[in-house]
Amino acid sequence: MKNIFTIALLACVAGPLVADEFTETEVERWQQHFATVADEGRALWTDPELGTNAVACAQCHPNAANTHPETYPKFQKQLGRVAELWEMINWCIRNPLEGEDLAADDPKMIAMQAYIHRERKGVRLAPGKH
Amino acid sequence: MNNRREFLKATTTGLIAGMLPVSLIRLASAQENGPDFTFAYISDSHIQQIKGNNFVRNWDQGLKRAVAEANLLLPKPDFVVFGGDLAQLGNKPELDHGAAMLAGLNYDKVFAVMGEHDYYLDLGEYWSELYGEHYYSWDHKGVHFITLNSILTYDEWTFDRWETPERRMNEMAGLDNPNGSPFMVGKKQLDWLKKDLAEVKNDTPIVVFSHSPLQKIFKNWNFWTEDAEAVQKLLEPFDKVNVIYGHVHQIQYNQIGNIAFTSVMSTAWPWPYPESYALAESHLPILTVPMNRADPFNERDATGWQFMNMHTGRVDLEFNLYDNTNRTVAWNDEKGHPQDTVHAEPTDRTLPQSHF
Amino acid sequence: MKTIHIAMLASLLMGATTQAQNPLGLPDVPIPENNPQSAEKIALGEKLFDDERFSSTGDVSCATCHDKEKAFSDGPLVTSEGIRKLTGTRNGPTVVNSAYYESLFWDGRSPSLEDQALHPFINPIEMGLSDHEPILATIRDDREYVRAFRDVFDVRANDITMEHVTMAIAAFERTLISGDSPWDRWYFGGEEDAISESAKRGFDVFLKDGRCVSCHMIEQDFATFTDNQFHNIGVGINAMQDRVPELAAAFMQAKQQGIDVDVAVLTDADTSDLGRFAVDDQLDSMGAFKTSTLRNIAVTGPFMHDGSIATLREVVEHYNNGGATTPEEEINAFLSGGIRPLDLTDEQIDDLVAFMEALTSPQFAELATMLSTASNSGGDQ
Repeated sequence: MKNIFTIALLACVAGPLVADEFTETEVERWQQHFATVADEGRALWTDPELGTNAVACAQCHPNAANTHPETYPKFQKQLGRVAELWEMINWCIRNPLEGEDLAADDPKMIAMQAYIHRERKGVRLAPGKH
Repeated sequence: MNNRREFLKATTTGLIAGMLPVSLIRLASAQENGPDFTFAYISDSHIQQIKGNNFVRNWDQGLKRAVAEANLLLPKPDFVVFGGDLAQLGNKPELDHGAAMLAGLNYDKVFAVMGEHDYYLDLGEYWSELYGEHYYSWDHKGVHFITLNSILTYDEWTFDRWETPERRMNEMAGLDNPNGSPFMVGKKQLDWLKKDLAEVKNDTPIVVFSHSPLQKIFKNWNFWTEDAEAVQKLLEPFDKVNVIYGHVHQIQYNQIGNIAFTSVMSTAWPWPYPESYALAESHLPILTVPMNRADPFNERDATGWQFMNMHTGRVDLEFNLYDNTNRTVAWNDEKGHPQDTVHAEPTDRTLPQSHF
Repeated sequence: MKTIHIAMLASLLMGATTQAQNPLGLPDVPIPENNPQSAEKIALGEKLFDDERFSSTGDVSCATCHDKEKAFSDGPLVTSEGIRKLTGTRNGPTVVNSAYYESLFWDGRSPSLEDQALHPFINPIEMGLSDHEPILATIRDDREYVRAFRDVFDVRANDITMEHVTMAIAAFERTLISGDSPWDRWYFGGEEDAISESAKRGFDVFLKDGRCVSCHMIEQDFATFTDNQFHNIGVGINAMQDRVPELAAAFMQAKQQGIDVDVAVLTDADTSDLGRFAVDDQLDSMGAFKTSTLRNIAVTGPFMHDGSIATLREVVEHYNNGGATTPEEEINAFLSGGIRPLDLTDEQIDDLVAFMEALTSPQFAELATMLSTASNSGGDQ
């Protein structure tokens, strides 16, 4: 009995042996990864240490409102060309927050983008919209 | 600008020397008795300390500009009101730094309204040293003015929940903080207000200054006053009531029963309209034509200050928006509510007012 | 100069310019419907532009202050010189690429090139005429002009008006466009070696730490380097900021009593420094001036509305100080929202200057060399 149970458990954790299949458990776990990162993004959103002047993103963007992630990439006047969301986040970090750029794949940048998108869930894509 | 031409047409060269144009909308409706006068209103400066004597330059500049521009108005308004949130975290350096800038106003009298960012560190103790009572009333040229402290909240939240005053202030400072607590006027002030209004005749115009909206607009961001109905009920018997509120950092105006509500702008930064938060239901006061969508590059965009014209006991409000076209929300006697003088019709909106 | 002019003429003769035909980095020239281009109109406009008879002393033309040998400007003059070498308060801007401005003059008091041309003729310190009649009289007496106006506007001598005159001048000015600078060839043209590494770094400063791009706008496939708006960047007004309340009040009174704004801003330094406020009466506009294009900036100094800043490096330092020419100068309260201290390093400042120098179009390259040689050897004579 114990053996069968163990084998069954192992099967669940190890996952199916076929490439393109995934289980309920995996989906939950992977979406939890996202939630964790988005929560980190929320923490950064209210963090006075993100820039150098104690200003936090949440001061102007409560619940990440008015960030319009669904419109990127788009022409961004402040950058002079079509740009992506992370570039505009960097613009905000440099300017109102008087801080330093983050790389596109910096964990903090990814976290903030995750948070922004989570707060905007369900809104239709509108790339290029000013 | 049209207003100036209108104004100049309406005046003769023999009138007061020195007319500054950014002024005075004359309503087409017949003039009733009662003197006209103007007062200036600066609000939500959010002076924020970084460290020591170093403050966020952006917010400092906003307040400095408001003071410098208010000093240019001619004829000079009768008094200035500061609408609350002078400081960001309510500490003495911030309040002192803000007060020093306000001291640059060359006006005799500044009336101050309490904001939550001023209050929750020391419950307004230092504020009182600077500006006196938290709620009070006075009369001016036949109008009864009332200042309320409308950013109080439940006693348990204020006194019992947080280990330190700093923690309490930080929790209230986040607009979207789920640990926050709804604003209210509270029983003590409601009792005071009732007594105060008992001395006032029903046909005396009333203007109420408050930081929170004295109505229920959007709970998530505390665009809200929990006991709004109670306040409105006390004001119900009066013919002409105006409520001016800060806190929202955006243009809003509304009519509820006999009360005309208008918000004021922040000198520091704009806030998004509640609709822009996709995950919560919201409504904007129905008459509001939104302010132009903010241009983040320009630090002063979608910020500003304002002055109010009291005319026949109604408030006409001129928003002075830095680096942006000014907006005027004036009382429309025919319609019985405040209205933008240019953009009320949907076909008269500019693109930045509808393309967010 | 003449060669380039003809080349432009030729391209314009082929019809309205399209993005593909514009000089690299430039958008289509806005051309008003009621004033289409033609070779004859342009030639007539140039003749009028150069004609010194349209002044009270007979020796000042548009070209006096907008000299084609000086990129249609009048460097090194700090403020321009009109009749009898009278000077005023404002630095003469270049005509090159002014076709892309939505308003003319430093304070935007003129809405079009056609309108702008009317003003200097009757300004007491520019051409000094009391009205436009002498211009029309001269034209009507001149057989060549009469023939030209008839060919272009189908109008008889006595029916020639200032509208025709200014339309021709504007048409000529619309050919004075220049792009295809080394920076254009690098940024839009993909030529890796078109500009130095320093200029490339300078462009990065322009976009980021310098914060220049938001007013000196560039777009996806062209760049005019202006947002066509007005900003107070702390030039002129800093020195008089304490007197602004009384000056503004006094000016408004005077304006209400009917003074000529054109004359006031050019003859009185205090009024001039009120900037756009003197034109639109808005508190917003206190001390604000139009964002200048940066194209050919290296050959159109000295800089700012009052010509008060001599070199590009000092211009950058002014911005670096957060809107003050020297670090001790007090920042004024009406400063535009975009201006603040930048904390640029010396290298970043040098790089930014190198970038701006890379915006000089080929037709002015020789002038640029001449100017930089002169400034390098300056003081030796």
